Amino acid sequence: MEYLDKHQADRPWLAIARNCPPEVQRIFVALDQRGGHAHIRHERWVTEEMNERRVRNLHDPAQLDPAKRAAGIDGLTPGDVQHRCGNIATRITDPEAFAMAFARGVEHPDVRAALDSNGPRPQPVILPISAVLGDDGHKSCSGWQLEPVNGSMDEARAFRRAWAVGDQSGPGPRARPVETFEGGTVTFAFRRSAVGGYEVSTMHVNPADEQPT
Amino acid sequence: MNQAYWARNPRGPFATLIALSATYCHPEVYNDAYPELLERVRSAAPEDEQIRVFREELREALADPSRLPDDELAKAVQYDDGSSEAFLRRLWHDLYGDES
Repeated sequence: MEYLDKHQADRPWLAIARNCPPEVQRIFVALDQRGGHAHIRHERWVTEEMNERRVRNLHDPAQLDPAKRAAGIDGLTPGDVQHRCGNIATRITDPEAFAMAFARGVEHPDVRAALDSNGPRPQPVILPISAVLGDDGHKSCSGWQLEPVNGSMDEARAFRRAWAVGDQSGPGPRARPVETFEGGTVTFAFRRSAVGGYEVSTMHVNPADEQPT
Repeated sequence: MNQAYWARNPRGPFATLIALSATYCHPEVYNDAYPELLERVRSAAPEDEQIRVFREELREALADPSRLPDDELAKAVQYDDGSSEAFLRRLWHDLYGDES
């Protein structure tokens, strides 16, 4: 597709779509032409190492300037704004599965209602992974999670933030791979679209122990 | 089907506070959404019932953070502030300043 060829150099997250079927390519192009970041931070082009560094040191995969990435500067927010990350950094490891999750997700009634709403920014919708990727869909997911500090994820996130913006001598934050996404969820968050209405701001998978109780 | 706390418990304790905090303060959307929350609160019309309830629940949670349901706020927002109370204090300060 022309768009994929044109942005081969400046938008490296599109490279993964070049060998995909046309319907998958169309989804990647549509996502990239809007304002969401699901395909930039939560798809296969983000390597395991990139996700580990994101969750451990707030290095944003979307930041293409290596110095800014190492400094924890967000790659998608104008200005030198610090990048943010939750307890986990995850991805769907297969671009066709990613596109299917997105296509099925936006057809879900709760997601559709959010996209079609006219009021303030809609609240996120959290669906079972199986609802968009089938019973084995969790096998197409991977991720890294921050390790607790003193048994606390609150402390771990605060320590990581202090580490990222301050003195980095001594032991830093630690992370470990997510063992399984079986029973997990996928979150759809929303933002106002430049062309009116709402669009998916991001779509990311969560392991079962990260979902609300 | 929607497994979010506020969808499963629309009348549950602090459902509006947790829902709006997740909508605007979760790290996956924070840099884009948090300024929108500031603007929404500052320009809220009197008939914005969601913001009225949000403010009331924020005030109640600050008065007694132990009333928050389990880890629902921490799971929904994943703040960097170190504790739910610290996050709520910052949120109140950013949104309402010295108002009581």
